[in-house]
Amino acid sequence: MSKLFPKSANQLPLQILIYLAVVAGIATAGVNYYMTPKYTRVGYAPVQPVPFSHAKHVQEVGLDCRYCHSHVDKSAHSNVPTSQTCMNCHSILKTNSPLLAPVRESYAQGTPVPWVWIHQTPDYAYFNHAAHVNKGISCVECHGKVNEMDTVTHMQPLSMAFCLECHRDPASRIRDPKDVYNLDSARLADQGEAGRKAAEAFKHDWKLLPPQSCSGCHR
Amino acid sequence: MKRKIEHPAPPAAESLTGPKYWRSLDELAGTPGFRAQLEREFPEGAAELDGVDRRGFMKLMAASFALGGVGLSGCRRPEKFILPYGKSVEGVIPGLPSYYATAMPLRQGAIPLLAETHQGRPTKLEGNPTYAPHGGAASLLAQASVLDLYDPDRARAHTRGGKALSAAEVATLLGEIAAKYAATQGAGLALLADESSSPTRARLVKELRAKLPRALWSEYEPVTDQPPVAAAQAVFGQAVRPLPDFAKARRILSIDADFLQAEAGSLASARGFAQGRRVNRKEDPMNRLYVVESGMSLTGSMADHRLRLATSQMTAFTASLVIAVYPDSASVLEPLTQGVKLDPKWIQACVEDLQAHRGAALVVAGSHLPAEVHAMVHGLNSILGAAGATVSYLPVESTPGATSLSALAAAIKGGSVKTLVILGGNPAYNAPADLDWAALQKSVGEVIRWGTHVDETSGVNPAATTHLAAAHYLESWGDARTVDGTVVPVQPMILPLFGGLTQIEVLARLAGQTEADSYQLVAATVTGLAGAGADVARVMERFLHDGVLAGSAHRPVSVRFNASGAQSLLAAVRPAAAPTKDNLEVRFVVDAKVDDGRFANNGWLQECPDPITKISWDNAILISPRLARDLGIDPKGSLIQVARKENAEFTMGKENARVFELSLGGRTISGPVHIQPGLANYTVIVPLGYGRTAAGHVGNGAGFNAYPLRTTGAMHVGLGAKLRDTGKRLLLANTQEHWSMEGRDIIREANYEPATKPDGNSYRENPGYVRKVGMESHTPSNLGEYGEKMTPQERATKIPRGNSLYQTPQFDGHHQWGMSIDLNTCIGCNACVVACQAENNIPIVGKDQVMRGREMHWIRLDRYYSSGTIDAEAFGGEGNRELPEDPQVSLQPMTCVHCELAPCEVVCPVNATVHDEEGINTMAYNRCIGTRYCANNCPYKVRRFNFFDWNQRRLDSLYLGPAGDYGMPELLQMAKNPEVTVRMRGVMEKCTYCVQRVQNGKIRHKVKTAQAGRPGDVVVPDGTIKVACEQTCPVGAIVFGNILDKDSAVSRAKAREQDYAVLGYLNVRPRTTYSGKLRNPNPRMPDFQPLPFSRVEYARKNEPAAHGDHGAHGHGAKPGHGAAPATPSHGGKS
Repeated sequence: MSKLFPKSANQLPLQILIYLAVVAGIATAGVNYYMTPKYTRVGYAPVQPVPFSHAKHVQEVGLDCRYCHSHVDKSAHSNVPTSQTCMNCHSILKTNSPLLAPVRESYAQGTPVPWVWIHQTPDYAYFNHAAHVNKGISCVECHGKVNEMDTVTHMQPLSMAFCLECHRDPASRIRDPKDVYNLDSARLADQGEAGRKAAEAFKHDWKLLPPQSCSGCHR
Repeated sequence: MKRKIEHPAPPAAESLTGPKYWRSLDELAGTPGFRAQLEREFPEGAAELDGVDRRGFMKLMAASFALGGVGLSGCRRPEKFILPYGKSVEGVIPGLPSYYATAMPLRQGAIPLLAETHQGRPTKLEGNPTYAPHGGAASLLAQASVLDLYDPDRARAHTRGGKALSAAEVATLLGEIAAKYAATQGAGLALLADESSSPTRARLVKELRAKLPRALWSEYEPVTDQPPVAAAQAVFGQAVRPLPDFAKARRILSIDADFLQAEAGSLASARGFAQGRRVNRKEDPMNRLYVVESGMSLTGSMADHRLRLATSQMTAFTASLVIAVYPDSASVLEPLTQGVKLDPKWIQACVEDLQAHRGAALVVAGSHLPAEVHAMVHGLNSILGAAGATVSYLPVESTPGATSLSALAAAIKGGSVKTLVILGGNPAYNAPADLDWAALQKSVGEVIRWGTHVDETSGVNPAATTHLAAAHYLESWGDARTVDGTVVPVQPMILPLFGGLTQIEVLARLAGQTEADSYQLVAATVTGLAGAGADVARVMERFLHDGVLAGSAHRPVSVRFNASGAQSLLAAVRPAAAPTKDNLEVRFVVDAKVDDGRFANNGWLQECPDPITKISWDNAILISPRLARDLGIDPKGSLIQVARKENAEFTMGKENARVFELSLGGRTISGPVHIQPGLANYTVIVPLGYGRTAAGHVGNGAGFNAYPLRTTGAMHVGLGAKLRDTGKRLLLANTQEHWSMEGRDIIREANYEPATKPDGNSYRENPGYVRKVGMESHTPSNLGEYGEKMTPQERATKIPRGNSLYQTPQFDGHHQWGMSIDLNTCIGCNACVVACQAENNIPIVGKDQVMRGREMHWIRLDRYYSSGTIDAEAFGGEGNRELPEDPQVSLQPMTCVHCELAPCEVVCPVNATVHDEEGINTMAYNRCIGTRYCANNCPYKVRRFNFFDWNQRRLDSLYLGPAGDYGMPELLQMAKNPEVTVRMRGVMEKCTYCVQRVQNGKIRHKVKTAQAGRPGDVVVPDGTIKVACEQTCPVGAIVFGNILDKDSAVSRAKAREQDYAVLGYLNVRPRTTYSGKLRNPNPRMPDFQPLPFSRVEYARKNEPAAHGDHGAHGHGAKPGHGAAPATPSHGGKS
């Protein structure tokens, strides 16, 4: 009877505890990395029905964001342009490009081009574009340097933690309102001491008080 | 099954001796129902899923998790698409709603509306503020009507004998009929339509009749909401109808008229009435309302003096009134009053009060009353100087030669009708029973029915019937007139979902027009009305933009009362015998929710509790407590309440109603009986509109159909009815089990003016009377003198709140939101309930779930009766065992009051309900794990739990779990507000102060100011943000806004001295406060009460020591308060 458990078994409870702690630690770290938007969302760059290059249209043609996303400063939703907007130019330029066939067809039929949705917020989160771009938050803060992208890629996690980081310290992210659509501009806070002062003054004068409670985004 | 805790059996009642302890409750609680309730800890259904116990549930879940792991389908990224328009749409900004003016036509009136559309789909209707008499308010029916557009049961195609017809085939068919009957000048063609105020329809009918003079045009409405023109024709010699202006009236006498709800123009009436009723300062005047009625209407619930009287005796009452005002008429009118016992003192005092307010007095009579009553009322208004002051007379545009339904029936019987066109209506369901409409309709060779649903009428003889799908008004071009005659547009928000036709299109085609386009037809009418030479495009643009045609209201005509005209009407009248137990009077009333049955398939309306009975999903035969006793129905009550008599028997929260047979003139219907305090003793009230058999999934089988009891001669009231117990029972979903406030201070009331002997109790003497009631009356303020004056932020940081670990909010936002609800003007119409439902995507749960207390409405309207009789001896006195026959009614909208120190927040284990910076108690649905601790800890009981996935599951297969269908029909998805989360199973929800409107309003303002170069201007101006209930409230009782702004409407409302917090002593610091209710009784009236009954009850319960001194208050000492003198008072034992 005495030999049923060897002496080393006395260590067993401690070993089990250590083992469990390690496993739990690995699991937590794994979940924290692999199951959060930092991993699952960043880098998402689906194939679009039309290989539209933002880089070409912004840097070569010189279009402003608002030429296509025309209601971004009025509406919660930053609209993806209608095919008619594309055809403003493409009824003259590259009229026979096979790549543009879906756009031409959409314009002729009135049916939508099925653009793949990249920057999805969850259904229960209500993000408002107009509230941000009119208050010195540039497109680049959430979308990255779209002006340099040939294929739009998800650059930021857009998780709640990401939102709150800025909502807790808006002065660190704001730009001069005239730089909001200039994705190459620098944040005020990154422009040295004067910039930091300007950012604080901006926050004070504009009475920036971004919501940090649920009702700001969840309805 | 949940373990049952066996409570020890209470000792037998006889053995109890000595002093009474709390233990004696058990002894009293000897009824089986109460025992069972005790054993279960929670009411049935509130704690567990039916049919599945915990063990079974765990087994199932373990199996499903194991299976779920196999597929790992949840790990794939769902690919979603953004689908922009192919061609840009003018004026549409994705993400922003657009608003268009339209109107909801109803009988001879219309409610001007603004429709909110999201990318072309209407989701919410608001009143059009351009139409001044409504001031932006909308009614219960208007709020709910958007759901009818998305009704999946609507007719989806034109059909003939069950086969679908294309639009072209319909046009050909109508063209053929037009051609065929043009040859016979219309002989053989008959048209039946419901009433309409549309000028275009009137024009087309005229054209049709000119072209087909021998065709029969008849109109039928099962209920009437406008006084008979015959009366005006007789006494004024002109076809006019009265338009009362309640705002100008200081003294109002309503003779069986429910002008706040059932009568035409009730929205404008309610608004005007509230204007005269609202008291902000003690100098403000307040109107006085006398109501004589047989039922218990919302108007009656607002009365300062209410007389219960059978409807058939209203003629006698009105005659007595006329005699008192104008004694010379006695010789003619005396015979009318024979045999009817009325208290002359009541009439005399009332008349004196009316006469003292010459030019500011107003008498109105119910539309259902006979012409002679209206003739006398016209006379009274002339004598009282009301004509031209508080009531104007508008010309009636008659549809020449429109025959009645009876005339049409005779023609069909005579065989002269070969083709019958039924435009709208539903005669097979609601025609008088003696016509036997279904048989008549069957005998006609060809029937063409235009209607939204394939309903009872379309189903009479489907093989020979052509059904034309009708367009909903939100899909139609049209026009209508409001009650004052203003022409309003009916504008489509969306293309017809099922290719429906408009009524005017059908009429135009029958009149021989081959190219009938609704817009062109309306434009032709409107430009015609605007006058010759008007620019069509400009007139229409303005008309559609404003939503009203300026200056199109009828001009009042001056009238001269001619008493001799009334003689002919009065000559034939004989006083009716007073109804008795064996000779009951039956009064058919239009239902507050489904109207005459046309809205029966609207889930929002069906689930909305009736404003007075609080029954949802059913109607009931309403009987008085006296009749109930005579019939031997004697419900008991819960033994733990002070007022221990219930108005129904409740089994586990379900009203266990007895089913009675009601027979009248040889016809019989059966339905559940509900005892309704406040009814005339032997009048039975039967709401119409239920018991539909072909309404659709929602309306079928809800309630019983009362139409089979109605005959041409007794459309609104019938005498000689009998009630017989069938022995059966029916469970009703009644959302308010208990009727009494139990002497608590929930609703605080006072009389407006002091009695003859001032006692300091009235509002005029003590505007801050609300602080004389309740815990606050004998304790210092929770906040202290200084705390009361602090801003919310100072309060939150400076006033200690005990040693709570819970981090309370700091309230440092730019705004602090608050609300004030004026109980003095609230008429309890339920419009806010459904407006909230439409705005906030609140689901319906069905009758079965309402019976389990799971209704989801964020606002509930509490209705209390008080009679001043409950006894200080909480569990003993006689007063506690009586159901009041003639109670005072108090109404209170109750919703989340957004406590600054919210009890729900501290108990939430996951912080799913927390405060924001601006004082809104928010719900983060995605955090909620459904413990329901918050609902348990809420003192106001305003939190609602999603027991099922109401949105994704069909209500008839909730208990099938995963085996049931999943998913919301696309049509219903279209009705949802995209700004509000659609909640899923297992989360708690409640009023959010319409946080989506608040946030969007703030953002809109900030965007505007930032773009205008004033970025520091972040505080939203007062009145910009209106919450849904506030916006639709017809009486403006609800005010919402920023309490930091001292000049905001809500701050001013809260500064009223009669403003108080419900349960304020709990120190939860609610942001929603209430303004006390005022009553304005006349000290000269025999039924004058120096103190409202609820206050008497309060005093009797809380100050029993002072009880003896209350003789001066009049209760108890005087029998017969408030009751009809013809009948003994509420004395149950008399």
